[in-house]
Amino acid sequence: MLEVKDLMVFYENAIAINNINLTCRQGGVTGIFGANSAGKSTLMYTISGIILDVKKKEEMKGGERITVLGRISFEGVDITHMKPSERAKKGIVLCPERRRIFPESSTLENLKIGGYLATKAQAKETMDYVFTIFPQLKNLKKREGGFLSGGEQQMLAIGRALMAQPKLLLLDEPLLGLSPLMEAMLARAIHEINLQTKITILISEQYARPILPIVHYGYVLENGGAVLEGTSRELMENPDVKSAYFGL
Amino acid sequence: MDILIYGTVNSVIFALVAVGFTLVYGVSRLPNFAHGALYVLVGFLTWSLVNDFKVFYPLAILISLGISALLGALIYRLILIRLRGLPTSEIIASFAVGLIILEGLRLQGIGGFKGFIGPFYVLPAFIDSKLRIAGVLIDAQRLILIGGGLCVVAALWLFTHYTKTGLSLRAIAQDEQAAMMLGIDSDRAAVISLSIGSALAGLAAVIILPLGNVTAEAGYRVLINALAVCIIGGLGSWAGAVLASFVLGFAMIISTALFGSVWESVVLVGAIILILIFRPSGLLGKQKELEERV
Repeated sequence: MLEVKDLMVFYENAIAINNINLTCRQGGVTGIFGANSAGKSTLMYTISGIILDVKKKEEMKGGERITVLGRISFEGVDITHMKPSERAKKGIVLCPERRRIFPESSTLENLKIGGYLATKAQAKETMDYVFTIFPQLKNLKKREGGFLSGGEQQMLAIGRALMAQPKLLLLDEPLLGLSPLMEAMLARAIHEINLQTKITILISEQYARPILPIVHYGYVLENGGAVLEGTSRELMENPDVKSAYFGL
Repeated sequence: MDILIYGTVNSVIFALVAVGFTLVYGVSRLPNFAHGALYVLVGFLTWSLVNDFKVFYPLAILISLGISALLGALIYRLILIRLRGLPTSEIIASFAVGLIILEGLRLQGIGGFKGFIGPFYVLPAFIDSKLRIAGVLIDAQRLILIGGGLCVVAALWLFTHYTKTGLSLRAIAQDEQAAMMLGIDSDRAAVISLSIGSALAGLAAVIILPLGNVTAEAGYRVLINALAVCIIGGLGSWAGAVLASFVLGFAMIISTALFGSVWESVVLVGAIILILIFRPSGLLGKQKELEERV
């Protein structure tokens, strides 16, 4: 469904993504694991196209020169140079790191904004679905996004991304900064979303333990390159992964 | 009582002039310095349509507003789109467009065009009558102005809270990239906000201009008023713009009543200076650093 070939991203002369090849299978959950600065977020921004916007702004400011090489194709179409909003229309929706909820809009409005690409019927159906998987949000409909707790914001961010009717949902560090209880709850919710809606998911995380069990196939990133890949089981049994990402 | 009524009228004038400017800036961070020029242009267009082409007055207004909205979209599509992210260039370019429009209106001699110069251009009032409210004589146009101002603010509020396009504009205003991830195109949002902003400048013109005559010089004053309101209210804050309009509107009327009308502009500029010293982000402006606290 998604195919990334020989992807390289440079910030000036520093390499952020080094020759990554990656595929996401239809209906599967693919994981990307790696420490801080391994290139997870850059990869997510490159797949969703946001990096092109950053690049344009930096060029206007005369700031950092960003170079993207390689090829990204989605459902057989080359999308390497496509605008982020066009990619969203094709079904690639990013739920960004640190959530980036619209702070001055209420929970309900955040979801409505998420439904920008959806038809009325789709929006209504998805909103009901979001409230079924995240019943906690029901009582917070009128609360402004900026006043929600981290966990609530993360649920809202996932809900908001679902409203955009994604075919491929990109989750960038959805568990960042949450309590273990919330981590487990969200991991379960992500698993359920994948099972119930059949949406393909690409998820990146620093801390692999809560996520690895729900992932079908995973990649381990280090300094911008993919050093390891394999099925969930293969990764779990790998001694290096165990020591590095499970803290065992 | 005089002060209350005429202060309100004056405040609504400020609000009408500023609301379009603040909408564009709030959504797209584009300072539209052609705002005043579009205001004057709509005044002259309407006048010309009514007097030269004998178009029915309300229809003339609608046509001029349409042209203004189209111009706003063109300004973005042709010019500002190349400059996004360069604030100084955005200001210079949009001000240049404003200059071309304003000075173009005064141009004489091309194709028999006499130029809009002198005090001959007056738009008719919607209803020409005067009435007395609580002992104060007031003409109907000023009441229509207050009503119109309220309608504009209410319509904008409903638009940005309950329609898909309006919500998408607010999304872009709050976090442009997060909005893009959900499929909202920022160029499209900028075009929409600039057309609405330009149409609002025109709407302000047709509501306000029947109170006096139409002159090209008014364009500069309108721009300065809009800027003053936006700086005092907090750039891009809609509630702030409305609040600042009332602060400025009343401050000017009160100072005129107490010290004479020479002090009007002193109050305007003084208010800007005071705000910049004591609350640089404006009355209701949010300092960006606060958002990073999480």
